Amino acid sequence: MTVLEWLLTNGERWHYLGALAFCVAVTLPLEFLFGARVYRHPRRLLLTIAAVAIPFVVLDWFAVGAGLWWFSPRHTVGVELFGRLPLEELAFFVVIPLCALLTHGAVSSRPWERLRLRRAPTTGR
Amino acid sequence: MPAYTAITLIGMVLTVLLDDVVLRTRLVRTATFWISLGIMFFFQIFVDGWLTRARDTIVFYNPDDFSGIRVFFHTPIEDFGFGFALILATLSVWQALRRREQRPGPARTRSDDDAGSDPADGGLGAAAGGHRGGDGTDLGGGAPPAGPRDRVGSAP
Repeated sequence: MTVLEWLLTNGERWHYLGALAFCVAVTLPLEFLFGARVYRHPRRLLLTIAAVAIPFVVLDWFAVGAGLWWFSPRHTVGVELFGRLPLEELAFFVVIPLCALLTHGAVSSRPWERLRLRRAPTTGR
Repeated sequence: MPAYTAITLIGMVLTVLLDDVVLRTRLVRTATFWISLGIMFFFQIFVDGWLTRARDTIVFYNPDDFSGIRVFFHTPIEDFGFGFALILATLSVWQALRRREQRPGPARTRSDDDAGSDPADGGLGAAAGGHRGGDGTDLGGGAPPAGPRDRVGSAP
């Protein structure tokens, strides 16, 4: 069975993790093309994600324990952590902060100013 | 009040306090933060919608534990408040760490830390007068970090 065949037959299992992979992929250009500086500060990135993800995962653990929300076993890869959290849920609290940092980093670098500068000689602005 | 609704509201208040009072990163007073949040929310509509969709649902919510208000693609409205808290907490901690890294070394300037090695802004960043700050905030000392250009409502 090839990897492709396996993915096609088990596609549903990747619906959650795949969405997170999509988030990582679409925000990647922000670092390299839009002036965000997140991946190039790996220590600060790691500390930030740890500081945020740990309390949020603890909250999530309690919320799942209390039955506030739950996850489709059909749409998760089946790795469970701390007795009740799917691997995807842990990845969520790493990926979303990462996306937030890249987005904010890109906006902060004011890419539109570089655009305006490039256009200036032709438009006369 | 349903549990998820309460958690979300408390989380939002706590993260605003974290940003504005505890870490004093004061991102909520910058336009950059609100623009970034808007972009994040736009993508959240679709990614969260994928997870919370009505058919073939990935993440289920106990109807007794949230407001019952679902927006866009069947997403509980609380998810956006939860997202707000997660995003603001992240950005605030990041800025606080960034400030701490830069404060002790007086010789170490912002340009040493952040600019220079990025080919994307190459010469253009410098040509723009070198005023482009790494994160749109002025991190020197204990003064309010937002520059006047970045204040909400200061734009003409």
